[in-house]
Amino acid sequence: MWLLLKQLLAAINDAGYVSKPALAAELGRPLVLVEEGFAALVRMGYLAEDAGAGCVDLPCGKCPYASMCQKEPVQMWKITDKGRDLLANMQRAG
Amino acid sequence: MSITIALVGNPNSGKTTLFNALTGSNQHVGNWPGVTVERKEGQVRHGNTVCRVVDLPGAYSLGAFSEDEMVAREFILTGNPDVVINVIDATNVERNLYLTTQLLEMGAKVVIALNMVDEAKEREISIDEKALARRLGVPVIPTVASRRNGLEQLMNAALAVASAPRNGHVRLSYGESIDDKLAKLTNLLKAGRWDYPSGWLALKVMEGDEYVRKIVADEQSMQRSKEFLRLWDEIAANEDYYQLEIVDSRYRFVGEVTQDAVRRPAVAVETATDKLDRILTHKYWGIPIFAAIMFVVFQLTFAIGQDFLGEWMASAVEYIGEFLESLLLTVNAPQWLVDFTGNGIIAGVGAVVEFVPLIVILYLLMGLLEDSGYMARAAYVMDNTMRAVGLQGKTFISMIVGFGCNVPGVMATRTLESKKDRMIAILINPFMSCGAKIPIYLVFIAAFFPAYGGAALFAMYALGIIVAFIMGKIFSKTLFKGEVSHFIMELPPYRMPTLGTVLRSMWDNVSGFLTRAGTTIFAVVSLLWVLAVLPGGVEPYGPESILGQIGLAIAPIFKPAGFGTWQASVGLFSGIAAKEAVVATLGMVYAGVEEGMELVMSIREVFTPLTAVSFMVMTLLYTPCAATLGTIRKETGSGKWALFSALYSFGVAWALAVVVFQVGSLLGFA
Repeated sequence: MWLLLKQLLAAINDAGYVSKPALAAELGRPLVLVEEGFAALVRMGYLAEDAGAGCVDLPCGKCPYASMCQKEPVQMWKITDKGRDLLANMQRAG
Repeated sequence: MSITIALVGNPNSGKTTLFNALTGSNQHVGNWPGVTVERKEGQVRHGNTVCRVVDLPGAYSLGAFSEDEMVAREFILTGNPDVVINVIDATNVERNLYLTTQLLEMGAKVVIALNMVDEAKEREISIDEKALARRLGVPVIPTVASRRNGLEQLMNAALAVASAPRNGHVRLSYGESIDDKLAKLTNLLKAGRWDYPSGWLALKVMEGDEYVRKIVADEQSMQRSKEFLRLWDEIAANEDYYQLEIVDSRYRFVGEVTQDAVRRPAVAVETATDKLDRILTHKYWGIPIFAAIMFVVFQLTFAIGQDFLGEWMASAVEYIGEFLESLLLTVNAPQWLVDFTGNGIIAGVGAVVEFVPLIVILYLLMGLLEDSGYMARAAYVMDNTMRAVGLQGKTFISMIVGFGCNVPGVMATRTLESKKDRMIAILINPFMSCGAKIPIYLVFIAAFFPAYGGAALFAMYALGIIVAFIMGKIFSKTLFKGEVSHFIMELPPYRMPTLGTVLRSMWDNVSGFLTRAGTTIFAVVSLLWVLAVLPGGVEPYGPESILGQIGLAIAPIFKPAGFGTWQASVGLFSGIAAKEAVVATLGMVYAGVEEGMELVMSIREVFTPLTAVSFMVMTLLYTPCAATLGTIRKETGSGKWALFSALYSFGVAWALAVVVFQVGSLLGFA
């Protein structure tokens, strides 16, 4: 019942999008472990969160257009160069 | 006798509740030296033993990734706690045990407080704590800290472990090659003088822990050992591989420990969200489904907003106009004021306000889609298409925001990290049909294509997206070259939209529309009215008025597009102030001229179906409004890009409008 991080990274790459419940079902692991795997991949630099440029100078609360803006930001992930190298190595190793 | 107990656990594991339950009011708060992390200590007497309890910061692991983790591991390794109570959330054992494996690697004396067992029971999670204890080699005590359940047993176990020589005898294997190197390195590190166990140091070096690597690299005795330096270089060359294998081994260990010992109720392997996503985000069907959903949205907008509510709103505006006019005549108001109110404000602002019901319905339906979680899917299904034209999928999110208003649409590009992606997203956002452009389409659709309202509106939105894609491709090949950022979108689960959220979202958009109608459009109409009746002596609203002269000067530009009249020209000109002003101006210069003449009827007399399409294409794509240009200047940090946006979008709009008219004429359309 263990989670292999390489397996998780490859599954994320193959899916093209991230749905943690779908990944948990695909890998046959509990959702909490997939979430932990995500956190571990981020900590280790294989996966990065796209923080965007951000509205640093004008917080949403003070923005006159905030009510018309995106209500729930969509979370984006990026497989880093380190992650891509690992995937390439995995592919080479078969 | 007195001992020190360290409390360690994941955030939200109930660690602080346990700390409070153990120490009561007998605690004090400070800071850990050199960092801003809070330090909490308390005291509890258990039998004859006084226990100093140190509540360590919550952490998921004991790496060097955060101050909290550093503080926790430093205290466990150098603070000499007699025993470490590892608080584990019983509803989340698999995740929490990762930290436990690291405690065991440190050689700490551990007791596990399996906390919140009541919640685990409620969720039908069954845990065999004896099996867990056997596999981990440490006592596992079920607790419910909030009810003080199990605290007596926990303290008994803690005191027993504290007085025993050592526990946690389980050794993790990281694979033969790593185990071998680990043994060699541990042996070599024994020659150094450290505050930490050499076995743990060796593991951290292999794991690539920057903090530990620096300590080891700085040690003089190590620098003199050729064998150590050779091994050090060898490890450094394979650092990533070792790190991953070590972390994977911990997860494998957690898996083996929890296998059979933790049982969760059978859950559906495939959730409703997954089932829906298999259809809605399908590789080939995703985009047609998205298009079909939007088509239905526009059809419903017309069916409800125009056919059902539109007549009612038009009558209301007409009634208000007549009422105001008669009121002004009754109080003997000057003729210019009667004219300004009836032919200026009511004809202009009223022409815009008449379309409020359609906008209400459109944003209500869009709000439903957004609140259900579908809009994130829309961005995802467009991802491949976006990448094909050199953009990343997330750009579509800012484009969707632009459907409401281009100003927040341009601002929403801040969520893009790459400068190249952001510049392209900013420059193509004004091609999105914002709410202010809707009244323009609606006037022309009502005049020429009333039977195909939904389809025509859908076509305008689709055209905006297509032109944005084409321009995005051109920009990514010319002005902003570079690789497409490869981002992966996280799809939130679907949820049932809530009435409150949907209504609030709709109101946010509609109130913005109404506010602009009452402020910007009012101001623009007032100014245009003055220009339309001056200079004195000329026919008001005629070609000899100042407004008419301005229009006549611009009109030749639009002749190849089929609408080279001064009225259409001033309409477009005023639209640079705000897009709603196009309809307001047309309302004034057409409907305001003849008493009782409705704008739609006037449009039908002046335009043809072909020139109507050409004009709609022009208004969809031409120069963004002043507020959007201002935002582009601010977001790009350059007035040049705002000017570029104004000019290139005008060029694109004009060229396409000309193509529509000329090709349409050649094909025999009128």
